[in-house]
Amino acid sequence: MKTAAPRMSGMERRDRRFALALLSPALIVTGLLILYPMYMVVMLSLREGKSMNFLESAGRPLGFGHYAAVLTDPATWASVTTTLIYTAGSMIPAFLGGFAFALLLNEKFPGRRWLRSLALLPWAVPGVLVSVLFLWLLDASYGIVNALLRDAGWIARDIAWFTDERTAMFAVILPTVWKSLPFFTLTILAALQAVPEELYEAARMDGADKVQRLRFVTWPAVRGAAVLAFVLNTLWAFREFDIIFATTGGGPYRATETLGIRAYLEAFSYFEIGRACVLGMVMLAIALLVVMAARRPLQKEFF
Amino acid sequence: MRELRLGLAAVLLVGLVLFPVYWMLVTASVPSHIVLSRQPPLLPQWNDMSFAAFTGVLDRRPVWTWLVNSLFVSGASVVLSLVIATLAGYSLSRFRSRAQEASGMTLLVSKMLPGSLIVIPFYIMFANAGLIDNRFALVIANTSVGVPFATWMMKGFFDGIPADLDAAARIDGCTRLQALLYVVLPAAKPGIAACAVYLFIVAWADFVFARTLVTDPRLWTVTTGLASFVGEHNIDWPGLMAAGTLSMLPVFILFLLLEPFLVSGLSAGSVK
Repeated sequence: MKTAAPRMSGMERRDRRFALALLSPALIVTGLLILYPMYMVVMLSLREGKSMNFLESAGRPLGFGHYAAVLTDPATWASVTTTLIYTAGSMIPAFLGGFAFALLLNEKFPGRRWLRSLALLPWAVPGVLVSVLFLWLLDASYGIVNALLRDAGWIARDIAWFTDERTAMFAVILPTVWKSLPFFTLTILAALQAVPEELYEAARMDGADKVQRLRFVTWPAVRGAAVLAFVLNTLWAFREFDIIFATTGGGPYRATETLGIRAYLEAFSYFEIGRACVLGMVMLAIALLVVMAARRPLQKEFF
Repeated sequence: MRELRLGLAAVLLVGLVLFPVYWMLVTASVPSHIVLSRQPPLLPQWNDMSFAAFTGVLDRRPVWTWLVNSLFVSGASVVLSLVIATLAGYSLSRFRSRAQEASGMTLLVSKMLPGSLIVIPFYIMFANAGLIDNRFALVIANTSVGVPFATWMMKGFFDGIPADLDAAARIDGCTRLQALLYVVLPAAKPGIAACAVYLFIVAWADFVFARTLVTDPRLWTVTTGLASFVGEHNIDWPGLMAAGTLSMLPVFILFLLLEPFLVSGLSAGSVK
């Protein structure tokens, strides 16, 4: 390899050294705060047994005991299902809603710019505050949502949205949709605005109706952006912690216990670091599958 | 006519989307007996307005302390991440190296890493370093999240600044570093501002690090503080909504000031 590389001039060598110097703090952060912790997670997942002291694991033998225990535990697979339901249940409506919203905001009407900025606001609201807002809206005794549903005559008795096993999943999905919808709207809107008006004109001349224009003009133009937004949002929802933890904490009766919540509880409530790290590895493996499935759109964005 | 109808539909939808925020503001600014009722009014009377919930919650809970802690942690991690990311982003934009491919990969990996997983090794690392219950632990943890996406964003912004600018500065006698500091950075100001806002919004929202790496209530950030209301027997809703309103203020101000930059950066997609 060395002989094949062209000789570097002094100038180029100084360029390289400068480039590396600028890069080095970021390399240190990446190495120390991303790669090394990931290595630790792998090692911790392989340490057999359990120690009451969080910090003592180095002495224990390596093995796949935690993997065997976690992967044969039906609770793990229940959590996998819960995570998938939560992710799909929030991302599909958020995507459709965000798309429809983007189509609307792409039309011309007065005050459009202001509305667009306002519609973006939920994206900036911290997850814990989102949780608190929806806990209040959906409160069992004083929540405005119950009051409105009662007024409309749709419910006879109050619903305890977050504490009833049957509604808890819906109750955590709602704030997730609320928080992620603006991101879809914005990225899809940006792509829509890049579609030249002439394309629609031409389609109209050819006699295409509204649905056909949406299908054959709009969709191909925004597909790339829409798919990328969907993948990134899915990865986000998949590892989402704040909203569920601050509302239901995974309950009631594990109804909303996603893998992320489960891993955290194993580590910091039951001190089962090994199990927690195996659950984390399961999450990473699933996220990796998502990334592999979406290789094409991601490749364009990140490489 | 069509414009008007569309406008109306958009106003209604945005109104619906913003309803949770509206209801927070209403709950925080009317007397509690009005909202803690079976029939809370959607549009309360103007002369019912009262700031009792704000004064009450500020008396009972150290909300200011939480806000100051959050400001310190977010501010410090924004500055730290921004400096590191600006240098790295410039390097990646101007000099081809293997790090270029690796940086996209790093960003992707950091998007896959769950916060509730990475906090486990962080806890062990910081405990060994004696940094539990130390705000610097939170600064470092938030920096680890901020650097990958901020680097990628800054690279994008530098890519938009022609390299001829650096070359011209070099010909005029600048060193490489001077060209960056005095010529390129000023041109990148809007990008740096947008990047800072993102970093701030992300750090301000952090909950998993703040909850895990800090236990001393005096060091709580505003997210841990807000979460501490939940699970109490009788939740003080007006007080909680007042604290929530205060916690949104910095984000809201940044949002209004920098909205034009935000839209361009968000659509680049690196943030989620």
